[in-house]
Amino acid sequence: MDIWFVISNAIVLATIYGTLAIGISITWSSLGLLNLGYGFVFAFSGYGAWLTAQYISPWGGAVLAGGILSGALCGVLINALAFIPIHDKPNFTMRGMIATLAINLIGTQALLWWFGPRSKSLPPIFGYWKVSLGDLVLTGDKIGSVVTAILMLVIVLRWMQSSRRGLEIRAMMMNPHAASIVGIGVRQTSFFVMSITGALAGLAAVLLSNTYYISPFGGLTPMIKGVSIALCGGLGSVRGAVIAAIILGFNEAITNVTIGGRYVLITQFLLIIAILLVRPRGIAGLLDRAREA
Amino acid sequence: MSETNEVKWRNPLAVWPGGKEIEELPTNAWHSHQDVWRARRESKTKLYPVGRLRYWYKFAGHGGRLWSRMRYWPTRRRVLDVRGEYNRKTLQREKTVADRRPIYWLLCLAALAIAPLLAPSNMQYTLLVAGATFGIYAAINLCWNLVIGIGGIFSLATYSIVGTSAFITAYLSIQYGFSWWMLAPIGAVVGLLFGAVIAFPATRLDGFYYALLTLGLNELCRVYFTTSSEFGGSNGGLYGADSYIPDSWSSDHQLLLGYYACFGLMLAALFLHRFVGGRRIGRLLRMAPEKREAFAEATGVDFRRARVWIFLIYAAALGFIGGFYVTNFGGVSFSIFSFDAVLLGLAMLVIGGIGRPEGAVAGTLIVVFLDKVMLGLGPLRLVLVGLIALLVVLYLRNGLFGIKTQFRAWRDKKKSEHRSTRAEKGGEMLPEEATETDDKGIVYARRFDKMTRDHLKTLVSPEIIEEHRVTLNGQHSDALERLLIYFRTREQVEKYGILNVVPFKNYRIVAFSGHKGVPPRLVEDRIYPSYDAACHGVFLRRVQDLLES
Repeated sequence: MDIWFVISNAIVLATIYGTLAIGISITWSSLGLLNLGYGFVFAFSGYGAWLTAQYISPWGGAVLAGGILSGALCGVLINALAFIPIHDKPNFTMRGMIATLAINLIGTQALLWWFGPRSKSLPPIFGYWKVSLGDLVLTGDKIGSVVTAILMLVIVLRWMQSSRRGLEIRAMMMNPHAASIVGIGVRQTSFFVMSITGALAGLAAVLLSNTYYISPFGGLTPMIKGVSIALCGGLGSVRGAVIAAIILGFNEAITNVTIGGRYVLITQFLLIIAILLVRPRGIAGLLDRAREA
Repeated sequence: MSETNEVKWRNPLAVWPGGKEIEELPTNAWHSHQDVWRARRESKTKLYPVGRLRYWYKFAGHGGRLWSRMRYWPTRRRVLDVRGEYNRKTLQREKTVADRRPIYWLLCLAALAIAPLLAPSNMQYTLLVAGATFGIYAAINLCWNLVIGIGGIFSLATYSIVGTSAFITAYLSIQYGFSWWMLAPIGAVVGLLFGAVIAFPATRLDGFYYALLTLGLNELCRVYFTTSSEFGGSNGGLYGADSYIPDSWSSDHQLLLGYYACFGLMLAALFLHRFVGGRRIGRLLRMAPEKREAFAEATGVDFRRARVWIFLIYAAALGFIGGFYVTNFGGVSFSIFSFDAVLLGLAMLVIGGIGRPEGAVAGTLIVVFLDKVMLGLGPLRLVLVGLIALLVVLYLRNGLFGIKTQFRAWRDKKKSEHRSTRAEKGGEMLPEEATETDDKGIVYARRFDKMTRDHLKTLVSPEIIEEHRVTLNGQHSDALERLLIYFRTREQVEKYGILNVVPFKNYRIVAFSGHKGVPPRLVEDRIYPSYDAACHGVFLRRVQDLLES
């Protein structure tokens, strides 16, 4: 229980939750959809990775790919069910949120019905090796998680900055109305957005599989953490999500060490309330730039 | 353009001596010029008697009791919103019930009140337990509706307030022996305190930010209560609290008592909804929905204060319900904090329609029926609830009770679409043009012209053209006369004239420009040998123009 252990834990948690939070954040700012079906995407991609490990190959890379692909697939499914039919209808924001919640309910119950309530675990993805730096011992799992998550995020963000699709998505994040006027198709772009955010959730599901085992309702806690981070960082801001992920990750690690694991959510909640009372749109959100959905 | 040559026109001038007049010529069968008008007036759409008119039953009024009205005693509210009016035709006094919802409410509540007596005996236990659950959940949803539908605060903290209050009251009852009648008021106090804490961010945050925040709150409560040692993490909840149901009663009577107590709780929640939503605070809040706060503020509505008030009322009421929950079930389990509880509650609200008490109650009825009565379906029943909620959200704007307005809006849209496809232009003004024109006489003149032309088109036939060729001047048949009168009264623009190139030998047809200083133009290369032939040529051109218009 030294300070380096705390910091390394904080970094691991922050990167993985940050991945989830950025997914939620991008979905909200580009589509105006509050994807509360993220828990289902998480659980679904966990089962996808598990099936890959069972039937295709237990090799780490294949399992990761299975999780990411099934996450993207699930994102597309949610998009087709909850975004495409109602994105131009009145009262979309609330209806979209409730539709994703309903999909979450249906999906998790269907997973429960199909796979049963027993949780599944994945084979180790990064092996069992360790690195010692002075008195700090880093397991392969930690390093692998951090590196993979950061790599994936960098790839996604680079893609969003350099490709034409990414340009379209960023245009929609800035001003969806103007983007549609200059000819960016909301529907086709939405599929890319949702598959990418789904893939991020899938990655997080595989990386977190040894903290939260794969179960039908296992996606709930990660989703709530992701939502909290996205909210705290400011919905729609990638930078804010990263900052918030670091702050909340440290909060979680410090609370674990000082007062105990029971109080993690309480301190986190109080911290978020404090931040939101000072900045109601989150750390990096601007008040007047709120999305008028 | 009749094919039969039976009809003949007799020239009245033929009887006069010395004339070279033709005696008889074939012509059209006569038909009324009003046919066009009648055909136009006739509706081409199929009409259905259903849904096009609002049928209201008219009660007979009584002149002597014109102003005596039934009112709720302490208030000036009418029991029923009855509109009195005079029938315009019979001049008799009549009454119309303008708002029939109180009648439907009364009938449905009466049905719920006698429902236990009608339940089939083999299902009695399931149905009564489900009925008690329905009463409690309906009360919770009515309070929730106050905040989401009327207050515009998208709070998902409902079940965390109920659960916290239930756990604390159950703990007090078990540890310190508080009796059952104290639990609900204590719960209200707990809820009020809890609400006061989380009402703080509600004043600063917008709807969806608040929803996300309270989503986390639920998880917080679940983790806190399941991991704490005082609230008994081992047996899945806290049981053994004092209950208002006497142990000495038979199980049937216990069930009935539970059912009616929960029914009473629902009635109390309905009254709360009515008295909070329908009075000053509700009106203030309806004035300041999301994104229109600035306007409300500018007109002097202190919506933040009203929101905090309604939030505190909501939290206290939910705390009361939490205490009641404990006395009804003798305890509370951790499942009240589960995410599925929130989802089911939201599904109840959404299925019925957010913002209406009838929606909250009906949605609760549907979901509780699926969840607690159709037990044979297993996990599929929650899938079914989710599917219903998804379909409702995808296809309905505001739940089941919004269908009526949505259907009306859809029907009006379809009606106007059909109307616009029916409108034929033909020189007549479209509605948009007509409103833009200052001289409305033009609108009617064009319409009259259109109908005249429609009629005249039916008169053109080979016989008429032949008749014109034969008898250029003098008396004509009715059809030809009508055509000629119409042609003669046209305006100067594009009117035809005859140009005499070489006298008695060479004639050509020109069209006048209608503008001073602009010469006529030649319309064709053809050269007519005589004046009469040229006149007939003009007639043929005009007939062609008429048929093409």
